[in-house]
Amino acid sequence: MSALLEVRGLTVAYGAIEAVRDISFVVETGQIVCLIGANGAGKTTTLRTISGLLRPRAGDILFDGQSIANQPAHAILGAGVAHCPEGRRLFARMTVEENLLLGAYTRTDDGVTTDVQRVYDLFPVLGERRHNKAGLFSGGEQQMLAIGRAMMSRPRLLMLDEPSMGLSPIMTQKIFDTLADLKAQGTTILLVEQNALAALALCDRGYVVDLGRTTLEGPGHELLADHRVRAAYLGEG
Amino acid sequence: MITKLVAGKPGLARPLSIVGGVLLIVGALLPWATFQLNIMPYPALSTLQFFDAPFGVPGFRLHVMLLGVAVIAVAFAPAAIRGRTTKALGWGALAIAVVNAAYLIVEGGGFGTITSAHGAFAFGAVVSAVAAVMAIVAGSAYPAAPPVTWDLKLAKPLEWLVLVLAYAALLKVVADTLTAGGRGGAANPYAGAVFLSFVAFLFGVFGGLNGTGLLRWVSAVAERHRAFSAVVLLACAFVLPFTEAGTEQWIYTATNIGVFAATAIGLNIVVGLAGLLDLGYVAFMGIGAFVAANLSGAASASLGVDLPFVLVLVIAAIVAGVFGAIVGSPTLRVRGDYLAIVTLAFGEIFFKAAQNNIAGATGGSNAIPGIPPLDFLGTPGDAAITVFGAELAGGVLYYLLAVVIVALVMVLFANLKSSRIGRAWIAVREDEDAARAMGVKTGKIKVLAFLVGAAIAGVAGAVLVHRLTTASYESFTFLESVTLLSAVILGGMGSIPGAVVGASLLFVLPEKLREFSDYRLMLFGLALVLIMRFRPQGLIPDKVRRAELAGETAEGGSLKEAEERAVAEQERADDERLGRTGVTEGRS
Amino acid sequence: MVTLLQQLVNGIVLGGLLAFITLGYTMVYGIIQLINFAHGEVFMVGSYAALATYLWALPSGIQSTWYLALPIVILAGAAFSVLVAVIMERFAYRPLRNAPRLAPLITALGISVFLQEAVRNFFPDGTRPKAFPEVFPEGQLTFLGVTVPASGLLLVVMAIILTGALQLYVNTSKLGRAMRATAQDPDTARLMGINPDRVIVLTFILGAALAGVGGVLYGVHYDNINITIGFQNGIFAFTAAVLGGIGSLRGAVVGAFCIGLIKTLAGQYMPGGTAYDYVWIFVILILVLVFRPQGFFGETERVRA
Repeated sequence: MSALLEVRGLTVAYGAIEAVRDISFVVETGQIVCLIGANGAGKTTTLRTISGLLRPRAGDILFDGQSIANQPAHAILGAGVAHCPEGRRLFARMTVEENLLLGAYTRTDDGVTTDVQRVYDLFPVLGERRHNKAGLFSGGEQQMLAIGRAMMSRPRLLMLDEPSMGLSPIMTQKIFDTLADLKAQGTTILLVEQNALAALALCDRGYVVDLGRTTLEGPGHELLADHRVRAAYLGEG
Repeated sequence: MITKLVAGKPGLARPLSIVGGVLLIVGALLPWATFQLNIMPYPALSTLQFFDAPFGVPGFRLHVMLLGVAVIAVAFAPAAIRGRTTKALGWGALAIAVVNAAYLIVEGGGFGTITSAHGAFAFGAVVSAVAAVMAIVAGSAYPAAPPVTWDLKLAKPLEWLVLVLAYAALLKVVADTLTAGGRGGAANPYAGAVFLSFVAFLFGVFGGLNGTGLLRWVSAVAERHRAFSAVVLLACAFVLPFTEAGTEQWIYTATNIGVFAATAIGLNIVVGLAGLLDLGYVAFMGIGAFVAANLSGAASASLGVDLPFVLVLVIAAIVAGVFGAIVGSPTLRVRGDYLAIVTLAFGEIFFKAAQNNIAGATGGSNAIPGIPPLDFLGTPGDAAITVFGAELAGGVLYYLLAVVIVALVMVLFANLKSSRIGRAWIAVREDEDAARAMGVKTGKIKVLAFLVGAAIAGVAGAVLVHRLTTASYESFTFLESVTLLSAVILGGMGSIPGAVVGASLLFVLPEKLREFSDYRLMLFGLALVLIMRFRPQGLIPDKVRRAELAGETAEGGSLKEAEERAVAEQERADDERLGRTGVTEGRS
Repeated sequence: MVTLLQQLVNGIVLGGLLAFITLGYTMVYGIIQLINFAHGEVFMVGSYAALATYLWALPSGIQSTWYLALPIVILAGAAFSVLVAVIMERFAYRPLRNAPRLAPLITALGISVFLQEAVRNFFPDGTRPKAFPEVFPEGQLTFLGVTVPASGLLLVVMAIILTGALQLYVNTSKLGRAMRATAQDPDTARLMGINPDRVIVLTFILGAALAGVGGVLYGVHYDNINITIGFQNGIFAFTAAVLGGIGSLRGAVVGAFCIGLIKTLAGQYMPGGTAYDYVWIFVILILVLVFRPQGFFGETERVRA
């Protein structure tokens, strides 16, 4: 298998404070990789840097072998990296359909309509209310829309930041099932989660991020069994 | 771009700066114009008098030479000060070279003037400019060092002596700046060039001194002896009429500067301290002016009363202050940009009302002329007086009044700034919501800023109108508000010396650059744009304020970083909030 | 009664004119939260560019044929306004994108002064008001004693058509969608692959094109132009934008017509007459800001305002 995304020694700083220090990890094509860690560990900052919203201070980000560090956000999306941000960040005053079309903003092919329909098939509730404003939907529905919107650019790598945030356990399960489906369809996923249990159960490979660097890594089920992980993140021990 | 070539090659810096310094001296000694001087009467090739002086190295060429010597000297100074100082000296020299070269080209008829023509060679300007660029490049090639601070404490009398010398030097600089080049106009087309190149020299020198840390040290000394330095400064201001700047014309200019500097400091309270953009500020000055005009026995004023001047000042301040509070009252509800529009609207309403002679109080298009001169203990304000056997020019009493007012306003500003109220203003400026959360009554405090600022402008307006003897609505246009705002911004928001320097420059330059008077406002506009782009913190930034506008924090770090730090903290806070839910779900 | 009707007509014409300017203010504010003081001057330079085109670029045959001259001068005015706006966005505002908010505001002020003074200095005899050429037939409609000048009708019809077209473009086109997305949430818009610089330039272009057309039609209708028309009408237009709810296109148009009517009616019926008509506009502005800062159609709470 080949590495789709490779983060090498990435350091991101806000002034004197380094939120991410020399972090390195690899996302192989077709895998789900998750970053877990405590609050303030630098996970969100890492994703925002990969997608070009922040500038790295040091290190490199390789996507499909090409460096995308220091490229503008729109170019990175164009290269095939979609970022479904923390808190969903839908365009609340626009309709479901407009949100999806914005997700396909960079595409010029004529498959957009088909893809919109595919999202509606996947999440029928969105299709039924496609002309409603996105801000009127429930948290879970909004998360579906956010994922659907990110998928509209037909990304090769989908990055999700806390998709289970604020959702009920049932809705969380539904979102995670969706991610498994997306993987089955061939999408590579980089997942950032506080919900370590669900995330590690789902992923092929996990990284534990602490204070801006990776401290542990391994296949998801191994990490799940690791006593340190269980002690730190699953409230055991 | 060139600086990139040498960046990180500190070994090149010293040789380069020495060569630059030597070339500056050479450039100063070379001829600067290809034609001979004083061979025929004006306006032909004879008027370049500022080339003509003792030793063949007059005015600006002497300055270039001095800067060159300084550049060489700095190359052997302690490493920490080399970079900044050399750069500042270089910029000063470059500005002198460019200003004079531009004037020579325009007045002398083309590029031949500063290269070769009529069989003569004159590469002084070119050589100096190249040398100056070398100095700048060398300055940036020196390894970066943090700003130098001197940890030097002397005995009290010695420190007092330092202050006296420093302020005496300042007085000399002010007098020289005022008179440099004389008054501009058709009869004196080089006033602008002489003045600008003198100012460029000063910038080079002050920038250089700042680089050595001397200025910081002197201001620290002044800070240690605040009362003493205030007295010396005031004394210097009173001595100005005895210097070469003591002619009626320059005293008049200095008076205007004083009045507008006081107004600018008032505006600085509103904009610089409280962070409320006021685009109609000159209206308060106008209100003060018309109040004073009506109460001071002008024949054409409809009221026809003649009150003592001190009382007039108080009434002008109160009336303007009340209007200030009224204009400020929407600030209770309105924020930021919208407030700017409200104040702009108020300024326009005032202008319209004054233009239409509202309530017969402004004279409309006839204005209120014939305001009698002020009476200073029996001496009319516009009379010449004799002090200690020295004949002082007419209007000097107004000048002294302006000095007193500026001094009082400065004291008021400084006290307010370090008071509870001042801190509340700064808090409101930095973050209104946070300020409110800390218990600051933001509404009251903002209205108070408007009130105080307006009252100061009212006083300044009352003084101005006596000096002008006519109160006309035309003196109080939107563009005057813009000019005052420019003075505050140019000098540095929230900074007292900044406001004074800003007002001085904006009111002296038009005197010197009369041939450009048509372009004055256009250049203002351009200057505002350029300042915001390249030096938003102004010439003499306030230490705290620098953080906000300059992309530089008080400690000298980059603003962008500070901003990102704030974002990081926000993110951490978010994570924390989310973290809790995450952990609970993990447990379940 | 006739006076009232006549003033209503005048107010609507003025409102149509202001609509051309207001939209630019509101769009730019909506997307980068900048009160672009210089926008009024963009309107003014459009007017002068049209005048210059007519005087020095059109052969006399075309000058006298209004249906050729009018579209040409409108296009020239709009094109020049767009050029000026693009230059100022690129070189003055863009470098300040991350600066504190006071910086671009003061820059806008500087540009405004600069443009006015540049026209005064560099347009031949620019200090004096200029007669605008006849590029539209004089005629007028009269009914019930009310006069509706043909140029006024043209102005209002053009305003309705162009503002409608703009609404349609912003609400349905892909770039329009990108504009709205950037206004709502610039960071997320970037994650959608939207290049914010392009969208912001587009916003300036659309606003400036409308302002330029408005500037030309101002000359056509009022026959005279001077360097202060931009500043004055700019302030009115900004007030209209606030009244309508800044950021809202619909609000901008409604606000523009309201302000037009308020000005003419106040000039007729309020004490002080036309000398104080614009005082009333500012009184309205202040009242709106104090009691309903979001205007007619604005969002109740702007997240980033």
